[in-house]
Amino acid sequence: MTRRIRTTQPLRFTRRNLLRGSLAATAAIPLLNAQRVVGQDEPIRRLIVLSYPNGTRSSMFWPTGSETDFQLNTFTAPLAPYQDKLVFLKGIRLNDALQNGALGGTVGSEHARGTGGMLTARPLNSGTEFESFGNTTSGWGSGQSIDQYIADRIGTENRFSSLQLGVHVRDTEVRARISYRDSNQPIPPREDPGEVFDALFGATDNARLRAQRQSVFDMTYAETERLAGIVGTDDKVKLDAHLTSMRDIEERLVSAEGASSSCVAPTMQEVDLSQDTQYVEAGRLQMDLAVAALACDQTRVVTLQWSYSESEHLFQFLQSGGRAIDGNHHGISHDFAASGANFDAYNAIQTWYHEQFAYLLSKLASYQEGDATLLDNTLVLWATEIGESTTHGLTTMPYVLAGGAGGRIQTGRFIDYGAGEQDNNQMLVSIAHALGVEDLTSFGDPSGNTGPLPNLA
Amino acid sequence: MQRTRTLLTPTLLLLLAAGCSSGGGSGTGDQPSGPGDSSTGTSGGSTGSSAGGASGATTTTADGSVTTSTTTTTGGEPDPPLMQPEVETSCPTQTVSHTPLRRLTRFEYQNSVRDLLNVDVSAVGDIPPDNATEGYNNNSRLQSVSSPQAEQYVYVSETLAALAVQNLAGLTSCDTATTGEEACATEFAQSFGRRAFRRALTTEDQQMFMNAYSLGRTDGSYAEGLEVMIRAALQSPHFLYRLETNPPADPTAALVPLGPYELATRLSYLIWASGPDDALLDAAASGELTTKEQVGAKAREMLASPKAFTALNDFVSQWSDLDELELTSKNQTLFPMYSEDVNAAMQGELPALLNYMLSSGDTSLRTLLTTNLAFVNAPLAAVYGVDAPAGGGTELAQVTLPEAQGRSGLLTQAGFMSVMSHPDQTSPVLRGKFVRTMLLCDPPDPPPDNVNISVPEVGSAATARDRFSTHLSAGAGCSGCHAKMDPIGLALENFDAVGQYRTMENGQTIDVTGEIRDVEDAALEGEFVGARALGEKLGNSELVRDCVATQMFRYAAGRLEGLTDACSIATLQDGFSAADGDLTELLVNMTQTDAFLYKSQVTQ
Repeated sequence: MTRRIRTTQPLRFTRRNLLRGSLAATAAIPLLNAQRVVGQDEPIRRLIVLSYPNGTRSSMFWPTGSETDFQLNTFTAPLAPYQDKLVFLKGIRLNDALQNGALGGTVGSEHARGTGGMLTARPLNSGTEFESFGNTTSGWGSGQSIDQYIADRIGTENRFSSLQLGVHVRDTEVRARISYRDSNQPIPPREDPGEVFDALFGATDNARLRAQRQSVFDMTYAETERLAGIVGTDDKVKLDAHLTSMRDIEERLVSAEGASSSCVAPTMQEVDLSQDTQYVEAGRLQMDLAVAALACDQTRVVTLQWSYSESEHLFQFLQSGGRAIDGNHHGISHDFAASGANFDAYNAIQTWYHEQFAYLLSKLASYQEGDATLLDNTLVLWATEIGESTTHGLTTMPYVLAGGAGGRIQTGRFIDYGAGEQDNNQMLVSIAHALGVEDLTSFGDPSGNTGPLPNLA
Repeated sequence: MQRTRTLLTPTLLLLLAAGCSSGGGSGTGDQPSGPGDSSTGTSGGSTGSSAGGASGATTTTADGSVTTSTTTTTGGEPDPPLMQPEVETSCPTQTVSHTPLRRLTRFEYQNSVRDLLNVDVSAVGDIPPDNATEGYNNNSRLQSVSSPQAEQYVYVSETLAALAVQNLAGLTSCDTATTGEEACATEFAQSFGRRAFRRALTTEDQQMFMNAYSLGRTDGSYAEGLEVMIRAALQSPHFLYRLETNPPADPTAALVPLGPYELATRLSYLIWASGPDDALLDAAASGELTTKEQVGAKAREMLASPKAFTALNDFVSQWSDLDELELTSKNQTLFPMYSEDVNAAMQGELPALLNYMLSSGDTSLRTLLTTNLAFVNAPLAAVYGVDAPAGGGTELAQVTLPEAQGRSGLLTQAGFMSVMSHPDQTSPVLRGKFVRTMLLCDPPDPPPDNVNISVPEVGSAATARDRFSTHLSAGAGCSGCHAKMDPIGLALENFDAVGQYRTMENGQTIDVTGEIRDVEDAALEGEFVGARALGEKLGNSELVRDCVATQMFRYAAGRLEGLTDACSIATLQDGFSAADGDLTELLVNMTQTDAFLYKSQVTQ
């Protein structure tokens, strides 16, 4: 993987410098307005979406018991220390437009639809760009995702209006994108922890460079805009998207604000992103960075993807049945047998993913914010693109919320909505409400339900 | 010459069914003039009735004979061959489908800045990877610039510009002491700007560059002035996009000839995967790219440059999925010899073979698929079971493999065998699927959602043939698709999951009988034994040549072929066959197609 040495002048924030003296490096950067971080009456609410691939095995995932007195199951056992911060949401289906054979036909496999629709609640665009299992093809997702919608409302003052991170995502197709600026405009996750570190903590304290950047931006923007008026309509869409992206990054790249001096950069280590055996290390670094970014109010909206849907990631670093797991995740997840090597391997992989979820919660909980913790002030959505791994159902999606967004959502609950009347449109509306975007009445495909989930807030 | 051919694959059928291709021939009877080509007709030398041909093509689309291909799960019988509608090719082309705006891929960006600035370009790796479809990462439909990408364009331009001005002599020979800084900056803008924007500069361009210069010069220095100019150039849409906004001489013509700079740019990205150099830009400016013949001659000349290797290697490596080698890992207990050193050496095999082919003058597809040469260093030699080359080191040296192994070019390269395998065993399915999709252009459908696709345990049966036998046994419902793949892949079982040669597996002799079924070429259809026989069949097949020509079209044009490309595809396929499958001739032929020489009118 490429290691980037930033050679902007005069302060040279190479990664090696930062590793040795992170506090010293950040001390020279002007302070953020500290009032925005702590000491306010209203807590600052954040959203972080964690996605993992290939669905679940319901029988070993869902808790048992009542709404406020429930017991965790095999996969979710690692979450035990945070049980009172969790909300299990059972009985949510994906909306009709995302279901098989619905509303004009099936575009994309369940994996693809569940990925493109995860945060957009919309079907995929029809097209032949991407082939998926189940003999269908599709284009990209067809609308803006909820993280972007929320970022537009609460994130515009932050250095990063939103941050997309990934762990071993690698893939560049529809099954590898959950965040969409707009239809056909997926946002690729940043996969290199070193690059993320530089982006978060390597701001340049060089007024001259920043001024030059502003001027070059202006020239580039003007020329791109002029060309957008000349090229045909199809091509104009492409240039317009580029203009939007430029506007999104401009403020951060020319502004004097960097990480505040109270913002502690996480310790980094070298990791080889091409080695499946270093999945844990890569993931931990990205989670550390995500949490630091939230803690420092560099952003209030993060998505963090593990691998891609239909993930064929290897798990040779996990033991099952006394030996290292040989097969790939997707293949293993398709074994219908109720016992045996694959059954056990699948369970080990699932439990491992929930251990990573628990790690994230522990990191969030480790930051104190007044009387509460960063975890309390955050809403975490834990999601995967399909329901049952073997059958690819898009009902009873294994959603878990955590944190509560500063008390907006009562946690420590297992909510069973029963027979699938509630859909993902409602869940996304609920998330927006919890993040302070209270005027949102519906989100996603019109075939879905309006309003938030009942009994949640 | 009209040649009826089945040029449509199931994938393309879907494209048409969805109504994605625009145009289809209005049959106006007007003969569009090619570059400098008025009387003698058009590409392919066709003299057939173009109007009729074009509308024939349209009818084929509209009559509903195009359907979505379906997976059969009904029984053990293989599907009958999917009947492709035959399309009358019509030359000359009546219209071209929309010529989409193409952005530089990361690979093209890297080569372009390498040639512009002569600096270490490793920073380019920070630009997000390109989205891929149909096997290639340069499809124009997937090239929207996201925020992280826009951000990296800024950072990377700054990194590269800073490196570039550390060596002013490498950037410009203008002596500021005698000529003056302002004049030198103006000259740099002219020469660098022309190469960065790949055309003559307008006064507005020049002004923009000098404004950028002032930003760095004022309270700064001459060097900083150049540095800001370079940043501005690399962030400009004129660099990042391959703009073809030359206004057409005739706004009503269905086919618009490209301007000379536009042709120069298409040529240089096709042959070099990089921007045009000064010599090529000069040729464009002085009218040396006005006729089709001139374009072809220039292409041939450009193929002699070492830069030609870059593009050809990129195409073959994407086509063969060898670009996935980087992420291919193996079970360390079963394959302890598969080290990082071996993996690194494997990544060098294809480039070494292509290099050899280019320098020896034999760039035929047949050689690529059948050669008995390999390129090894000590660690890789052990995988091949041959002596390490003399001298040691990590460089790869040419060796002739033992005849008994029956190796066959790319098909049995150790790296290729490794990619087309699982971590703990071979995959006859992946190997067969590759041949089916990328050599026969007959992609099997993906598996249905709800079947068990877990790989069989290594211990479940002695040989792969036995382990995967359920795919083909009657009643399993899998054979409809697997009969097209597995019997091909099983012929390669003498080469294990890391490409080592073997005749036994778990104590049993390996049977490498293979079979190609359901293919519209009598010479290809049927049984054969072993890798070399497969390689010979494929290397000598016209159907395979046609398929590879189509694959090259997709890579070169940055899009799937559409109905209006019928003549271009014909030109390409005819030329490739006439050249006995010479891959460099394929590149030259691409420049002779209507798809290459023309663009569509701008529709607002």
